Amino acid sequence: MSHAEKIREFVVNNFLFGDGSRLQNDTSFLESGIIDSTGILEVITYIEETFGIKVNDDELLPENLDSVDNIVGFISRKTGCAA
Amino acid sequence: MDTMPAKLVHGFLRQSAERFPDKTAVIHENRRASYDEIFSGSRNLAAHLTASGVQKGDRVVLMHENSVEYVVAYYGILIAGGVVVSLNPGTQPDGLRPLFDELSPTAVVASVKVTGTLRTIGGYPDSLRQIILTRRITTAGGPLPIPVTIFDDLPAPAPDFREPDIDENDLAAIIYTSGSTGKPKGVMLTHRNIVANTYSICSYLELTENDIQMAVLPFFYVMGKSLLNTHVAAGGTVVINNKFAFPASVVQQMINEKVTGFSGVPSTFAYLLHRSPLAASREKLISLRYVSQAGGHMARQIKLALRKALPGHTKIIIMYGATEASARLTWLDPGHFSEKIDSIGKAIPGVTISIVGPDGGILPPNQTGEIVASGDNIMRGYWQNEKATRKVLDRNGYHTGDMGYMDGDGYIYVTGRSDNQLKAGGHRVDPQEIEDAIMESDLLIELSVIGIPDRLMGNRLVGLSAPVGETVTENSVLAFAAKALPRHKVPSAIHFVKSLPKNANGKIDRAACERIIMERSGSSAA
Repeated sequence: MSHAEKIREFVVNNFLFGDGSRLQNDTSFLESGIIDSTGILEVITYIEETFGIKVNDDELLPENLDSVDNIVGFISRKTGCAA
Repeated sequence: MDTMPAKLVHGFLRQSAERFPDKTAVIHENRRASYDEIFSGSRNLAAHLTASGVQKGDRVVLMHENSVEYVVAYYGILIAGGVVVSLNPGTQPDGLRPLFDELSPTAVVASVKVTGTLRTIGGYPDSLRQIILTRRITTAGGPLPIPVTIFDDLPAPAPDFREPDIDENDLAAIIYTSGSTGKPKGVMLTHRNIVANTYSICSYLELTENDIQMAVLPFFYVMGKSLLNTHVAAGGTVVINNKFAFPASVVQQMINEKVTGFSGVPSTFAYLLHRSPLAASREKLISLRYVSQAGGHMARQIKLALRKALPGHTKIIIMYGATEASARLTWLDPGHFSEKIDSIGKAIPGVTISIVGPDGGILPPNQTGEIVASGDNIMRGYWQNEKATRKVLDRNGYHTGDMGYMDGDGYIYVTGRSDNQLKAGGHRVDPQEIEDAIMESDLLIELSVIGIPDRLMGNRLVGLSAPVGETVTENSVLAFAAKALPRHKVPSAIHFVKSLPKNANGKIDRAACERIIMERSGSSAA
């Protein structure tokens, strides 16, 4: 499973109760109302545990975390830096 | 200020547009709107509303996320003599229908995000003649079954447009708040209520046209609305950031825009302290004059951690209030922050606070009773709810439902609420309202929604329930709740039991429910 598929699956199962029809990979979680601030914390915990990265406080930005695509890009940048 | 104080809420905007026409009033994302731009837009809307039959005292529902358009619409409705009813744009059709019925609004101003709800509400009250959208609908879904006007299409007022005559005792706003009976209650505020409170806040915060406020709280609640009115009255600037879920972006914008004031509820500050670069940015927050907190009790350790994280020059102002008080009732002078750290301070100018005993008499210092407030800021009553009004308003003033005492120096301390209302993530919620909505699913035999103390949220809503059969899953209940309720009222979890614990007279024992939830969660209160 690709990173995008894993993240998508997590969001669909945890915030959309299994119905992924509203979620495109570039859908803003916040603007669409899919995830609120508590939910963002759950997403962060998930990506930290699944992809073995640490999300720093100064990285809590929409461009890093506010869509499936943004998270995929963020993980690539983080793991790229780490490599 | 060399001008006469405003007597009407929209007078704040008119005066600031006259004094500082080109000054930036509102910043949102890439948009910077001047006072003149906002005032002109508001006048356009007011002229349109008046021409289309909206009269003084008519209710106009505003369902919009914080934005420049919200500000234009808010003041525009007021100029037209309308009573602004700001509702959470996330309100679902089932929640909106009874409000429409009791309000009989003549117009709705909404963002395009609300069109789905407006389309599926299934019938409008006869009073409703038009919907005004702040942007053109580009999504599919078909037309709305009622005339729709788009903000950008509104022409400039005709030369003969005359604003209606409005008295300071006329209603300006109805703000909904969850009541102890579970049904939301509409708090009626007059122009005089809001104007008195706004000027009082401006004076103790010493707000001027140089103040720049970061607004992360929604304008559809009284605290957000108060931030807007006070800064427009002072001729300052409001920076809107709707992305507090990503606190690093908020801190960065506070630095970039040289923000002078930040306001939040306890969970806002818990979140800022635990998941933001606030402390690491303290050297860069050179303009931040103060932060203010209201919306419920904030734990002492958060206050102390905040003091450490913020720059030394930034004052921390603890405040206390209620929707029924147009926002604010007390403030703790930051000079006494350490000495009176658990206090909500003293009454703000123009407000009198008493601690009242069960017999209605005023209690001496250090005795606990109900906190009762009086002043020009106290609401007229609840919309179409005489019974609830009589319960909280009497000759002593407004009964807050909060218990507390005054110390020997006159500082007030809140010790608890006299009913079951909860603050969850800054929202005031009533468990019964949530329980009623979820029970509509027919999936459950009984349900109790409990606020579990949470370090970040204040309270986390968790349900304990008995399902009707083994095929019912927790997810199916939560999925129903997500459709029936705004997100902040959807419990974070549901635990199933065979039946709920009850006390001797058959009432659900909420304390026992909480204990079961804590055991199931395997955690103790944070």
